Amino acid sequence: MPPIPNLTAADFLPLWPAVVLSLAGMVLLLSEVFLKATEREGESVRTYQAVFTVGAAVLAGGLALSLTFEPARAVFLAFAVLDPFSSFITAVACLGLALTALLSDGFLRQRQAERGEFYALLLFATAGMSLLALSNELIMLFVSLEVMSISTYALAAYLRRGPRPTEAGFKYFILGAFSSALFLYGAALLYSASGTTHLAGLASELGRIFADPSSDRRLVVYCGMALVAAGLAFKVAAVPFHMWAPDVYEGAPTPVTALMSVGVKAASFAALVRVFLAIGRHVEPQVPVLLFSTLAILTMVLGNLLALPQRNVKRMLAYSSISHAGYLLVGVTALFVPQARAGLPGVTVLAAGTRADQADALRAILFYLLTYTVTAVGAFGVVGALERREDETRGFGWDVDRFSGLAQRRPGWAVAMAAFMLSLGGIPPLAGFMGKLLVFRAAVDSGLLMLVVVGVLTSAVGAYYYLRVVVYMFMRPPPEQATLAPHQWGTEVALAVTAAAVVLLGVAPGLVTRWLGPAGHLFGQ
Amino acid sequence: MQISPVDTQNYLLLAATLFCTGMLGVLVRRNALVVFMSIELMLNAANLTFLAAARERLDATGHLAALFVIAVAAAEAAIGLAIVIAVFRNRGTVNVEDIRTMKY
Repeated sequence: MPPIPNLTAADFLPLWPAVVLSLAGMVLLLSEVFLKATEREGESVRTYQAVFTVGAAVLAGGLALSLTFEPARAVFLAFAVLDPFSSFITAVACLGLALTALLSDGFLRQRQAERGEFYALLLFATAGMSLLALSNELIMLFVSLEVMSISTYALAAYLRRGPRPTEAGFKYFILGAFSSALFLYGAALLYSASGTTHLAGLASELGRIFADPSSDRRLVVYCGMALVAAGLAFKVAAVPFHMWAPDVYEGAPTPVTALMSVGVKAASFAALVRVFLAIGRHVEPQVPVLLFSTLAILTMVLGNLLALPQRNVKRMLAYSSISHAGYLLVGVTALFVPQARAGLPGVTVLAAGTRADQADALRAILFYLLTYTVTAVGAFGVVGALERREDETRGFGWDVDRFSGLAQRRPGWAVAMAAFMLSLGGIPPLAGFMGKLLVFRAAVDSGLLMLVVVGVLTSAVGAYYYLRVVVYMFMRPPPEQATLAPHQWGTEVALAVTAAAVVLLGVAPGLVTRWLGPAGHLFGQ
Repeated sequence: MQISPVDTQNYLLLAATLFCTGMLGVLVRRNALVVFMSIELMLNAANLTFLAAARERLDATGHLAALFVIAVAAAEAAIGLAIVIAVFRNRGTVNVEDIRTMKY
């Protein structure tokens, strides 16, 4: 046993965002205890919880952004890393959390379900995302993955009196626990083949196994890799591991769906990229490219095709979330191409692949996650704002008819929703277009022309179902005796911020991309 | 008579069998609680793999992993059973096939 070295304050630096988030969650839980004694039934007293959560998210996000200027290094005996990539993922997760908390305030008040646990669970889930982004060791990855997932299981079933939220929570739990078990067994197989769970050690050990042609451990390594990939593919909802997503996204409370589709996805993609850049480097180079390009094609094609017949807007957004995971997987595939030039079907060699291509792909993934975060939270925000409680049990609260004539009834919401839909469809000059452009450009630079062609064609298919919502809002008369939910300040603020961000990121992406430079390399890769 | 120690290979095979049994259970069984137990079986198959590898290599990491997994599985069980109870209160059944209000 080596002696235990002293940890320094510098080791704790990358944990600060997670610490702030967890502490804020605990304070909320405790404040709930004291509040019960004094004013349980206060009308507006609960708003402080949302405001407090937003404050904690902004603080944690600011800390994460300041950490991006730190030099990249390994901390905690290489169990975690401090690098700009993980800090940016944390910042994106905190942004998602702040917007979700703003949406939750009005949503929960309408349902008389404002309790501190909700916000505490949101904060704990985000702390898990932050830890997931920076873990550099399989067990720590697993524990962070579970911190994030277990909080979201509870959030999905939060409105526990309704049949739909419990069903959503149930399905999410069963399939989430199943995918965690797949990931864990894959990690165990990798450990049994290599004797280490540190990603850096794993990489060098795999290099040794694959350098030795007589090694009998290759099969175990491939099984482990496949299981880890399947576990993480479940979390990002990539086809064919997407079955849970539509039901869970539809049934869960809408603000929770927003957080699931952005934060959970961003953190899971960070973990996927980090794990596979470590272990995918030393296996036969075609394997990760084939794996991710297959997943990407399936996800883009099926995600978009299944969204086509949906009249239920919330469910349509769930399928749209799946298809966006597909576009992100195109970027992930591009990460592995520079190592696997020769002899790949569907890869056209345009130029010698360099590490610069890889860095571009990583930055493109980050930017895409940011644009998807603001767009999807905004879209789910409008869906949530239009929901009425009495529709919930009957399940047509999200029919596209509810959007008819929205332009006359709530012009602000209609314009914002149109911006979100066009951005999701990738129509210039909005954020979604810039995100797709950067990801596809990285893929073209890597020679993945076929994937890009599929991506562009499926985006064109996607325009159909996104534009249908716009058509309903602007060209259909409003239904008679339509009642609308009252204005909620939190929702209005969140919609204004996301709509402004969608336009700004599309018109002036340089505002963000100039800061993403150092995020092009993962520490130790 | 001396009993020879069991080969690590055998532990790994047993773990693989347990894992496949658990996976089959999740995919085939209809009772939510049985599905849940199958998931626990999968987690424990991973534990057994960690422990067998740790024993073969005289490395403590695998033991630590197993301890962490046990703690996480307990947390998962707490949330999972709470959700199953909420489902049962709502519908009076925990049959996986009956829990589908939402359609495609």
